[in-house]
Amino acid sequence: MEEPLTANGLLRRTLRRHRGRLVAGVLLLCAHQGAEVAVPVAIGVIIDRAVATGDATAIALSVLALAGLFTCLSLAWRGGARLTTTAIERETHRIRVEIAQRALDPRGHTGGLRDGELLSVASSDAENTTVIVRACGVTLAATTALVAAAAALLVIDVPLGVGVLIGVPLIVLGLQRLAPLLTRRGEEQQAALADTGALATDLVSGLRVLRGIGAQHTAAQRYAAASERALDATLRTATAKGVHRGLTSTVNGLFLAAVAGFAGWRAVDGALSVGELVAVVGLAQFIAEPVQTFGFCVQMYAIAKASAGRVAALLGTPLRLTPGDRSAPAAADVRVRLDGVSYRTLDAVSLRARAGELLGVVAYDPRDADALRLLLAGRVPRADYAGVVALDDVPTQELNLDESRRVVLAEPHRTRLFEGSLRENLLPGGDGPDGQLAGAIRAAAADDVVDAHPDGLEHRLDEGGTNLSGGQRQRIALARALAADPPVLVLHDPTTAVDPVTEGLIADGIARLRRDRSTIVITSSPMLLDRVDRVVVLDGGRVVAEGTHADLVDGDRRYRELVLR
Amino acid sequence: MKLPVATARQTWTALGAEFRRLPVRTGAAFVTVVAASAAGLVAPWVLGRMVDDIARGASHRQIVHAALIVAGAAAVGGLLTALGSVLVARLGETVLARVRERVVDRALHVPSAVVEKAGTGDLVARAGDDVAVVTRAITTTGPDMVGAVLTVVLTAFGLLALDWRLCLAGLAAGPVYVFALRSYLPRSAPLYARQREVTSERTQALVGALRGVETVHAYRLEGTQLRLVTERSQAAVDVVLRVLRMFFRFTSWISRAEFLGLSLVLVTGFLLVQAGQTTVGATTAAALYFHRLFNPIGLLVFEFDTIQQAGASLARLVGVTRLAAPAEPAPDAPVPADTGLDLAGLHYRYDGGPPVLRDVTLRIAPGERVALVGASGAGKTTLAGIAGGILAATDGSVRLGGVDLSAFGEREVRRRICVVSQEVHVFAGTLLDDVRLARATATEEEAVAALDRVGALGWVRALPDGVHTHVGEGGHELTAAQAQHLALARLVLMDPDVAILDEATAEAGSAGARELERAAAAATAGRTTLVVAHRLTQAAGADRVVLLDHGAIAEVGTHEELLDAGGFYSRLWHGWTAAGTRVR
Repeated sequence: MEEPLTANGLLRRTLRRHRGRLVAGVLLLCAHQGAEVAVPVAIGVIIDRAVATGDATAIALSVLALAGLFTCLSLAWRGGARLTTTAIERETHRIRVEIAQRALDPRGHTGGLRDGELLSVASSDAENTTVIVRACGVTLAATTALVAAAAALLVIDVPLGVGVLIGVPLIVLGLQRLAPLLTRRGEEQQAALADTGALATDLVSGLRVLRGIGAQHTAAQRYAAASERALDATLRTATAKGVHRGLTSTVNGLFLAAVAGFAGWRAVDGALSVGELVAVVGLAQFIAEPVQTFGFCVQMYAIAKASAGRVAALLGTPLRLTPGDRSAPAAADVRVRLDGVSYRTLDAVSLRARAGELLGVVAYDPRDADALRLLLAGRVPRADYAGVVALDDVPTQELNLDESRRVVLAEPHRTRLFEGSLRENLLPGGDGPDGQLAGAIRAAAADDVVDAHPDGLEHRLDEGGTNLSGGQRQRIALARALAADPPVLVLHDPTTAVDPVTEGLIADGIARLRRDRSTIVITSSPMLLDRVDRVVVLDGGRVVAEGTHADLVDGDRRYRELVLR
Repeated sequence: MKLPVATARQTWTALGAEFRRLPVRTGAAFVTVVAASAAGLVAPWVLGRMVDDIARGASHRQIVHAALIVAGAAAVGGLLTALGSVLVARLGETVLARVRERVVDRALHVPSAVVEKAGTGDLVARAGDDVAVVTRAITTTGPDMVGAVLTVVLTAFGLLALDWRLCLAGLAAGPVYVFALRSYLPRSAPLYARQREVTSERTQALVGALRGVETVHAYRLEGTQLRLVTERSQAAVDVVLRVLRMFFRFTSWISRAEFLGLSLVLVTGFLLVQAGQTTVGATTAAALYFHRLFNPIGLLVFEFDTIQQAGASLARLVGVTRLAAPAEPAPDAPVPADTGLDLAGLHYRYDGGPPVLRDVTLRIAPGERVALVGASGAGKTTLAGIAGGILAATDGSVRLGGVDLSAFGEREVRRRICVVSQEVHVFAGTLLDDVRLARATATEEEAVAALDRVGALGWVRALPDGVHTHVGEGGHELTAAQAQHLALARLVLMDPDVAILDEATAEAGSAGARELERAAAAATAGRTTLVVAHRLTQAAGADRVVLLDHGAIAEVGTHEELLDAGGFYSRLWHGWTAAGTRVR
């Protein structure tokens, strides 16, 4: 696949992908602008030819012509806007999906973008990139309007036309000199308002916490102070905006007076008819619009380019993992083997998890636990670690990513549930018999979560499972891992948000359900460690002890102190 | 239970009251804006006269004279426009600020019963999104809207002053605009609602997939998730395009109205000129008047949706302000005899659900520390909520120092009982401000002392800016354990008689758990304390342990007594300490 790597490349691709629709759409938008120019001219012509002359045929023809003009205007706008917006929406969709595909690629990416940044690239940057379509369309349409208006003016009266064509851009540019001030003030105001909004959201989101410490009143005062600051900023902006509006109105009015005076003078001289006078005045007012549009287009282009840069950078990020294509071999007696593995804080760690074994790993340093989980999950590029990580005696990097993930399931430390029903969360692959699911739920002591709602397994979870408590989420995630029933299961602190009574039930459940499978539990919970077949202790990146929980409690003082607390 | 939404009438009344509170500003703004709009009528009028003058063979002097009048009107009009928009903005913004302050104040003081039933989601949406919608409408389009409405009204008067028949011709376009809006709005409203729905579903799918990417990879869900994102995105595109097409069809009606009005004005002018009832100049002025209405009417029509949305949001905001204000404590509020907490015969059930608590009676002596142990679903959190005065028991009573909690009033209860709940929230702002929420008058030294008391000063000092580090949303991200540390520091600063700790050490994982237990012990020393134990060491360190089973007290006593009794707690403890006894 051809990777677009530059902002301009991406913008060009955007335009190219929809060129048919865009060419037609832009032509129609240009036609619409031409029709807009014709309206003031038409008023002048009708005054001249029909109203002033009293010619009944002329007025009838005029109304027909006007009807034709407004029909063209309306149809051209509808068609043009429809074609360009269709192109914009479809392209945004395609870019959004491309970004999601890249972000979800199981081989990972090296971009180092955080979730929030990825999300903003996938949403606002994808949308802003396609603004290029609008920028192009509007620029061409405004050019058409300007050319048409200029032509009409010059045809009516050359000196007047030249004067208007010089005067209008000067006025627009002059008034735009105020723009930086307005923008700055506007930004201050936006920032103050956004702060105030964020503060309100933040305080009300933490309402239960505030209530717990009786701080609602303090919080309300804090908000009132922020609101007052936002009001000050808004009022400063309002003053700047008001002055700008007044100035714009005055300058435009004075310019109109000058054009009307000059055109009237020429009319008195007989160089202009009254109809032409009306048309000139109308055109002089209209022409400011396309000129202002150009400034706007420059901004749109800058926005599109900046966003396209971020999108292109993300799409071009190199992949993190380069997995092999071997399919999983037959199950060996030692299912997972680490030989002299050094990675991050880990220093020459060797570890074995046998078929049917429930292995506990205690890491005194949480960084060792994280490093070990990442290795077991197969998320570490081969170049980043030394030693061998093998699955059923095959080095993991040689395995096809789908195959290795089918054998090993490493439930992430940070519990993450998805929007959807409990059942969809528990069986994310969409299959599995109900009996097995019920067993997994019971083993994870999550029956009460399912029973708490009349809908049972069909109970809907919000995105992230936020309508469950932390303990409930943790147990549902554990049930999900157990229900997946992988040959090798890696769990990391699966019961931190669970009370000791339930923790004991879970420890029994895991031991019962995983009897014939391999399970590695990275934990320091004595409840869990008491049920595992064997405990491996990591300290300072090395394996320092090994044995049953009972033996370690009896014979290892440091273990006893750190685990039994 | 849902939060109230104000009716249209209540909303208008509430707004009217705000404006009446600022009578001078309201009057001044109105007069100025009307005058500014009136100045805008001068130019077309004079141009019309000029057309007639030229037809009659005007002199150059008359033309210059006319041009000077237009220039003068421009100068005066510009001045009035500047003044008018400033006055309108000041008025609108001030009223808006007062409304949003009242909304947030009321939202923060919503009675516990309402919060527990309605959740905080709707409140957050109102204080955040609805305020933002109204703010955007008023701040960005407010002055333009007011200007547009007045231009339309005054231009109608201008047409009337030219000739009542020309005015009627122009007004004939009105019904077309009304018809277009009336057929468009009811059909577009559900489509806009649908658009917001599908857009938010699309965002949810993206957020879910991207935030949960680790889980997605672990369970090989990338295909499923990508399909979901693609489907949702495609659905959103379809709806957005439908909305836009409907909108484009609607704009055709606007063009038709413009055509109808303009041609009627011209034809009427033609006929009147023929009949000698009016001049070519007056017809010209009328046509120019009508032409200059295109933009303001377009603004009003196209922004009608914004106005409607702002109206709906405003109704939701006024709904919040109509919630009862928090009751001030009665001046003769009873004074508790001591800080002991008496729970007597407590029963609780959620609406129509099975009983969660069954006849729980427990006395916590002043300064005593009681740990609550039990399986999930045993009713620990419910009991903690009732003891903390956040939930009202279905039956039974809670007394503090012999006084029933209901006799204190909510504010007084919250002053005396601190509840550290399962929800952990770090407030955006400096860490110091966060701690000081517990007592706004506390000095920096006092806040630092509170952090020190719970042993948090070490990591706080190590932050980039110490206690002045920005934390919470958009700031330095604290770990779950640090956030809980902070919650305990707030408790110390608040200095309540009673502390209720629910899952205060829940999310800390193994590493920080002990440290947090020490912090909790330090924070609650000397206070009457009820702690929902997450680790048995918390129970072992308490004065008494209560084992809750299916909503009833199963065992109660000191740690040693319960161990000696050899019941469930003792078996649990032995399991925890690896003495070889299996639970169950």
